[in-house]
Amino acid sequence: MMRPALPSPLPIFDRGLLRAVEKIVPPAEREEWSRTWRAELWHMHHRGRRTQPPGMIADLSIGLTQDALWLRKESWRRALDGTPTLCLATLLGLSLLSLLMALALTGGWSSLSLYLDAQLKRAMLEAPLVVFVMFATASRRPMEERSSSMKLCWIRRQMFFAAEVAMVLLLTFLLSADICHPIHRPWPATADLLQIFFFVVLSLVGLRWAFRDQEERCKQCLCSLATPARVGRPSHNLLEWNGMELACKQGHGRLSVPEMETSWCQSSRWTNQQPEWRESTSI
Amino acid sequence: MDTPRLSHSAALILKALSLGYCFGLDVMEVTGLPSGTVYPALRRLERDELVESKWEPEEEAAAKQRPARRYYEVTRTGKAAALAATERYPLLAHLVAEKR
Repeated sequence: MMRPALPSPLPIFDRGLLRAVEKIVPPAEREEWSRTWRAELWHMHHRGRRTQPPGMIADLSIGLTQDALWLRKESWRRALDGTPTLCLATLLGLSLLSLLMALALTGGWSSLSLYLDAQLKRAMLEAPLVVFVMFATASRRPMEERSSSMKLCWIRRQMFFAAEVAMVLLLTFLLSADICHPIHRPWPATADLLQIFFFVVLSLVGLRWAFRDQEERCKQCLCSLATPARVGRPSHNLLEWNGMELACKQGHGRLSVPEMETSWCQSSRWTNQQPEWRESTSI
Repeated sequence: MDTPRLSHSAALILKALSLGYCFGLDVMEVTGLPSGTVYPALRRLERDELVESKWEPEEEAAAKQRPARRYYEVTRTGKAAALAATERYPLLAHLVAEKR
């Protein structure tokens, strides 16, 4: 886009500020952002007043910086929203936060490692049992994939699920250790029992979430599915399809989740979108 | 369709826009909100399709010897949201004066 010339130039401070802050703006939006702010600053300086209200320039400088930061944040949000990377990064961030909390509670690395060492040994025994119970009891719907199976996608999906489960277990272990630390010194036996209880309960809740999260992700790009829409009528449950449909934001496909299992529609159904339709169906 | 729930500042900005203050600087002046609140809020409102932004025609601005500005218009959804916000915050109607 051509940058139109201003009728009169902006002060040096404004030009310098614009040049410095525009680096924050994502490249695709930089030109338009710059044009908007050059015009806004120009109008602020030529409002027919000899002097600007005090603090106006400073306020507008904050405004243009906030605006640039918002655009950057929004571009990150658009790029990362619902992605497996964001999911794992969030779980990792929460785990680090729990670790820091444990560090603050114990007062140092040596006492933290002493405290966690005993808990960790127990958790190594508990975790496989929790995972086994979860797999045995989870109402994981068998997925019917209508298109040709894609092995690579399946491997990626399983690897992501394994990582998600591992992160959930780590987080719940650290959280349970944090919760029980204050009573560990006066009542060590009670604290140990409570820690087992919290670990098991939190893990079960976390793993149930992980199962659900997996189900509601695109089978190709692993991003969270969006635009849930109810299809059909409950009163027609046995006559026609009734349930929820979710779509991939990139247009890879659609997941149909039946409201209740019927003999002709027992499981969730993933339908891949033809590549030529992706452009028009992506959100 | 449900109208989106707006924060007090977003409702105030939407109200100002619906009363004809279409430039960022005008909205700042009439609402008394700082630019750090107004401009990101305008972006959010645009993202949520409550307002849309357009550029003034270059020729029109050049004739008045000033650069073209980006202006904002309230969409149909935005008008409904502004109405709902006025019902939710009754004082909003008195906070922003209609543009003469």
